[in-house]
Amino acid sequence: MSETPFQINIPDKKLSILRAKLELATFPNELQDIGWKQGPPLADMKRLVERWKNGYDWRKYEKELNQELPMFTRDIDVDGFGALNIHYVHKKSKTVDAIPLLFCHGWPGSFLEVRGILPLLTAPSPEHPSFHVVALSLPGFGFSEGSHKPGFALDQYAEVVAHKLMIALGYNEYVTQGGDWGFLITRRMAAKYGGKHHKAWHTNFPMADPPNWKSPLSFLSYLVTPFSAEEKAGLERTAWYRNKSSGYFVEQSTFPQTLAYSFTDSPVALLAWFYEKLVIWTDNYKWTDDEALTWISIYWFSRAGPGAAHRIYFEVHGDFYNLGRTSYPTIPMGASYFPQELLLLPSAWLRRLNNVVSESHHTSGGHFAATERPKELVEDVRKMFAKGGPAFGIVPGRSGYA
Amino acid sequence: MSPETPFKINIPDEKLTTLRAKLELATLPDELKDAGWKYGTPLVDIKRLAERWRNQYDWRKHEKEINEKLPMFTRNIDVDGVDTLNIHYVHKKSETVDAIPLLFCHGYFATLTASAPEHPSFHVVALSLPGYGFSEAPRKQGFGINQYAEVAHKLMIALGYNEYVTQGGDWGCLITRKMASVYGGRHHKAWHTNIPMYYRPGNRPYFLVFLDNPWSTEEKAGIERTKWFHAKGQGYSAQQSTQPQTLGYGLTDSPVGLLAWIYEKLVVWTDNYNWSDDEVLTWISLYWFSCAGPAASLRIYFELREDCEDIGRDPTIPMGVSFFPMELIVLPAAWLRKSYNVVFESRHKTGGHFAATERPEELVQDVRKMFAKGSPAFAIVPGRTGYA
Repeated sequence: MSETPFQINIPDKKLSILRAKLELATFPNELQDIGWKQGPPLADMKRLVERWKNGYDWRKYEKELNQELPMFTRDIDVDGFGALNIHYVHKKSKTVDAIPLLFCHGWPGSFLEVRGILPLLTAPSPEHPSFHVVALSLPGFGFSEGSHKPGFALDQYAEVVAHKLMIALGYNEYVTQGGDWGFLITRRMAAKYGGKHHKAWHTNFPMADPPNWKSPLSFLSYLVTPFSAEEKAGLERTAWYRNKSSGYFVEQSTFPQTLAYSFTDSPVALLAWFYEKLVIWTDNYKWTDDEALTWISIYWFSRAGPGAAHRIYFEVHGDFYNLGRTSYPTIPMGASYFPQELLLLPSAWLRRLNNVVSESHHTSGGHFAATERPKELVEDVRKMFAKGGPAFGIVPGRSGYA
Repeated sequence: MSPETPFKINIPDEKLTTLRAKLELATLPDELKDAGWKYGTPLVDIKRLAERWRNQYDWRKHEKEINEKLPMFTRNIDVDGVDTLNIHYVHKKSETVDAIPLLFCHGYFATLTASAPEHPSFHVVALSLPGYGFSEAPRKQGFGINQYAEVAHKLMIALGYNEYVTQGGDWGCLITRKMASVYGGRHHKAWHTNIPMYYRPGNRPYFLVFLDNPWSTEEKAGIERTKWFHAKGQGYSAQQSTQPQTLGYGLTDSPVGLLAWIYEKLVVWTDNYNWSDDEVLTWISLYWFSCAGPAASLRIYFELREDCEDIGRDPTIPMGVSFFPMELIVLPAAWLRKSYNVVFESRHKTGGHFAATERPEELVQDVRKMFAKGSPAFAIVPGRTGYA
């Protein structure tokens, strides 16, 4: 299996088609004073579509990405699915014994999310550990090939990501950082490859089951321990997500193909669906129009097409809620809590079931932590692996220091 | 009340041109191997339908047919404290002078080309709900179940039908149920539905009911169907009831997107109904060309979300029910009888959610039987027995 350097180079034809569709864009009306209550406001959508059509310069941002991110592709064989060509960023630190770290994105994220944290993670310093960073595009996302057959689920994502890609890069032992699907995938990796290859994992999307009557002591303590103000706010946020912000999840996990037609045929459809999440899932993050459009263009121009990525919801659906029933990872875990994350559960629940060695609680930031709070996220990861830190030296021979 | 204006559908050429231009540019996703219907609408169907829509489908021909077949009108209806909306409706009088005035109330995805339960014995009114077909949509938030019921009721009154009966499915069921609660007795005399929605009685009566009425094979199958709908069929309503506008942008901009979204339901919600391509395309064109645009039709889910969770006071007026096995919610009849004044029940061996399209004869027979001589609801509208 060999690596090929990769540069994004979207064919002119694709740009023309995009423009032609945007030229024909038709918009719905809007209820009076509706604001964000039912989706992105019409004024925002019109402005973004206008910019995307006239003014947004894809080639400029394509060039920036190519210059900023060292990217590659290689074929990874997945049992039962054949070889998939996987796209990834791979940046080594100048520190030779840096810790190999896999950054795993989710939906509607992408490899782009590593941009803000990449220079910080790889920066050499005697003050903090450094990392060799690998950030892949999950199959079906970005410039990775997607599965062509049904059944590509958590084990397959974990296999592609973990065993095969990191091993292929010569990182027999590594750590991970992930949120959203990245949490579930790195968690599966930890269960499957933990100890031998996967040495520690950090997440900004810590999900845990509440204690139930099956573990009476935990359950009792859960009943009598009052929640802190932060925990109450977190539970309210979780309730909001479940009641008001999960429609996408239900559709994507039941009829993903039906939705795929809109996303593939209409850049406006894609823009609305994704932009809504970029705004309501973040903590007042000030997206520039071009930043949002680049994010969404990665989906529009993705190798597997904009209709492919969200099949993960259908394939993994059963596994998503299996948290309480599968074996828990035992390798050291780090968790970062950002108050505008979507599912925020009392950290005691996480500690009950995982080997949590490092925790950080922030007062701002949301679901896209690497974009919204790159410094804070990197500090959290560094402190976990720092000299004197709970996971220092977890990868033998790669302490992260010179 | 404003006067009635005769109405003919006449979509401007410009809209047809735009549709064709978009279809010319249509790009389709790939599909997983052997996906069938498992992941949603199959690619082969959408390819075929989009191609036909672009090239051979003749909207003007179907537009003309609808205009010839259905006598249509519009008039302004004032909605208390909200707005005045211009409402589109079919109104066909029977030759029988004393025919029973019947309001046919559709739901999401339905269209006026569905055969209304017509019979010489009924004067039929079939409205386009606000936001659907050629009716205006509400401009403000808060247009809830009371407002929909009010529009329907006021339309009947405006047409001189001070006392009337209704037939409804999908949202039509909830709306006619609200009409029955609010206007029942005095104006609304009886209601018939093909999607009886109700909650099971509280725990104790449930067990008692169970003991009295062990579930039949049919009822067991119905419960399975209901469970399936609850577990696997909620995506569209979860999205539409939380972020309808987000979805609306896509359905407004992409005819292929709209086609896939609706066609999936036309197939998955029916009982092997053999849709012709043109039937499908006409159905979806009515959404595409609707007065308020397809995004407006979704908002009812958002506004009525609470109403679905709390149906409120049970109506007391006589109710008729038709059970079709492939309807989406099919629950034991005993639960229904506990909550409503059920005077007519009918069980069918085939048929699904779009009863008026799939089983028009059976549906009409059911409605006729409900109001026939000798039935409990006979002559429920004084002076209008439905017979010559």
